Amino acid sequence: MTVLNHRISCVAAACALFTTSAFAENPSLTNPAISAVLDGYYQNTERPMAERDEGFGLGHTEIAMSANIDDMFYGKLTAVIEMHHGETELGLEEGFIQTLAMPGGFSIRAGRFLSDVGYLNNQHVHTDAFSDRPGAYRAFLGSHYFDDGVRLSYVAPTDLYWTMGMEGFKGDSMRAAGGEHEEHEDHEGHSDHAEREYKNIGVYTAYTKIGGDIGNGSWQTGLSYMRNENGRMVEAEHEDHASEDEGHDHSHSASFTGENTYIADFVYKWAPNGNYKYQHLTISGEYFRVTDFAPLEDGHDHDHDHHSEASVDDMQAWYLSSVYQFTPNWSAGVRYGETDVQELHGDHFHAQKLKETEVSLAWHQSHFSTVRVQYTNQKGTNFFGIEDDNVLTLQYVMTLGAHGAHQF
Amino acid sequence: MRINSKLVKSAIAAIVVSYSSLASAELNIFACEPEYASLAKELAPNARIYSATTAMQDPHQVQARPSLIAKMRQADIAVCAGADLEVGWLPMLQMKSSNAKVRSTDQGLFYAAEQVETIDQLKSVDRSMGDVHAKGNPHLHFSPERMLKVAQALTAKLIAVDPASKAEYESALADFSLRWTAAIPVWKKKAAPLNGKKVIAYHSSFKYLFTWVGIEQVADLEPKPGLPPSSSHLASLLTRTEAGDVMAIIVASYQDERGANWLGDRANLPVQVLPMSVGGNDQSQDLFSLYDSVLDLLLSVKAS
Repeated sequence: MTVLNHRISCVAAACALFTTSAFAENPSLTNPAISAVLDGYYQNTERPMAERDEGFGLGHTEIAMSANIDDMFYGKLTAVIEMHHGETELGLEEGFIQTLAMPGGFSIRAGRFLSDVGYLNNQHVHTDAFSDRPGAYRAFLGSHYFDDGVRLSYVAPTDLYWTMGMEGFKGDSMRAAGGEHEEHEDHEGHSDHAEREYKNIGVYTAYTKIGGDIGNGSWQTGLSYMRNENGRMVEAEHEDHASEDEGHDHSHSASFTGENTYIADFVYKWAPNGNYKYQHLTISGEYFRVTDFAPLEDGHDHDHDHHSEASVDDMQAWYLSSVYQFTPNWSAGVRYGETDVQELHGDHFHAQKLKETEVSLAWHQSHFSTVRVQYTNQKGTNFFGIEDDNVLTLQYVMTLGAHGAHQF
Repeated sequence: MRINSKLVKSAIAAIVVSYSSLASAELNIFACEPEYASLAKELAPNARIYSATTAMQDPHQVQARPSLIAKMRQADIAVCAGADLEVGWLPMLQMKSSNAKVRSTDQGLFYAAEQVETIDQLKSVDRSMGDVHAKGNPHLHFSPERMLKVAQALTAKLIAVDPASKAEYESALADFSLRWTAAIPVWKKKAAPLNGKKVIAYHSSFKYLFTWVGIEQVADLEPKPGLPPSSSHLASLLTRTEAGDVMAIIVASYQDERGANWLGDRANLPVQVLPMSVGGNDQSQDLFSLYDSVLDLLLSVKAS
């Protein structure tokens, strides 16, 4: 999450990337693939926990470079340029290496990368059929969870696709908002809050996915577990959530955290004769459950909870989405999701609920250009004061350059 | 305790036996397109062959889906057209399948287009030109001479990966070459009446076939490669047909017929769907019958 707030370094980095691109016509082993994604939008109001501000704005504008480094390693760098309250920020979303030649179906990825938990998380946001991630992602993963760490994954030599993986991450962006959040531009020095000691390796994940074909369709389903050592909320004395919420809209940090997160996901894609050129349908859904978020009682950390605080429901969220590309030029999607979270107020929790119903329609001149209109109806119960809101988003997402393939 | 250790020993023995029998099992071949699955079948009849796509699927737009990752994970050789045809999905499969054997052409990866000279190579490529391939047209399986060269190179690759079966691969190649070279003049003779004919076709899918047979593709249903026919483009094609020299409108088995039918209706021209590959119609069971079927279909249009 190192965010350089300097315009100059941003421009310098962009220039450095673009001069290389002059040599990169066909990406190959020796020639890196270089691409940029342009994302611009207009939105009439804000969604809670989302990255986009109200009005005109630039979304996830990114520059990416990737290549096989040698016969053993592949590397990728993705820089994201974002606007936030008039400031240009350069963030590094990916900067990783991955092994290519480990035996036995194993591979290791190290550096900064998108976690492989859930279905959507390892997908780049510009491939989404909607302008924002579902509420589940915005609440529990900071829209999309990328971090510094390492992953070991394994693919079984079976006809049914079966992969397993484990990851360890720094977990800064998944820390529970304890005491205070080092949010505003105080220099990146460690804010010495004695009240909270964070663990260095904050997040561990384990996941497995299986998948295969049925007729002209393909499916994949997965289970993920995320252990967040710093996820337990802290009884904070600060009563000023309101002000925190306002400045929170652009943060990539998870809005709600807990020690244990369980994710179940599935996706099904279908095309006539398996030919994705003209029409295809995608149905996907995910369910999140976050437990053990209540602060441990001060003093004695008694072994098993006696439900000291009037027992609170686990936090959970889910969504179901369906996208149909009905001609090469047009696709339409519907998505419904519910997010049930608990907000800590002093020593007790307030339940909050958000229900979102969304429809989107997109026009694609080619694979590389999308213009989208999306309507969201959001209904909130205690959710940042939302009661009934209609959000309209107009957006374009376009990629230029040699763009890497997308995952299933 | 004794029983336990015996059990463990026999379990280990069973695993070792089953593993080694797996290891000595026939070669696993992952073909990106059915034409190369078919060629692999000619050259390695005992291999376990899997085709990632069918003749009804556009090989430009394939999902790097779980079943393909699983198949590639087990492959000893991957045989693909190359020239960037699979650039949208093959790299993702290679990355996800964690199979070191098929990650580079130094080892088990084989690109047909690298074995021959492709047509329509471009010096510079720009996205405004559509979905074009700088390395030339990758749909080279309708060039019989090129396929013979590809067969020879693929045999060398098979031997490199599986030297123990060298003799079998050599005799399979000899057999295939004999039948193939015998078939070429027969096809040539059969195709003679098509020489000089003009067609409107979809994409550059059959460019090699047309070049070989002597058919001229005077216009493309796609305004630009990869873009679907637009109504204004179709209208301009309709004007083109007024010259009266176009024999037919040709569409491949995975391409949408709507634009072709619109034009065919208005210009009063036959629309002919040709199998893009093996399995594209009932007649096309292997490379030989694919060629026969394509020529038969073109001749039937000419006759009508």
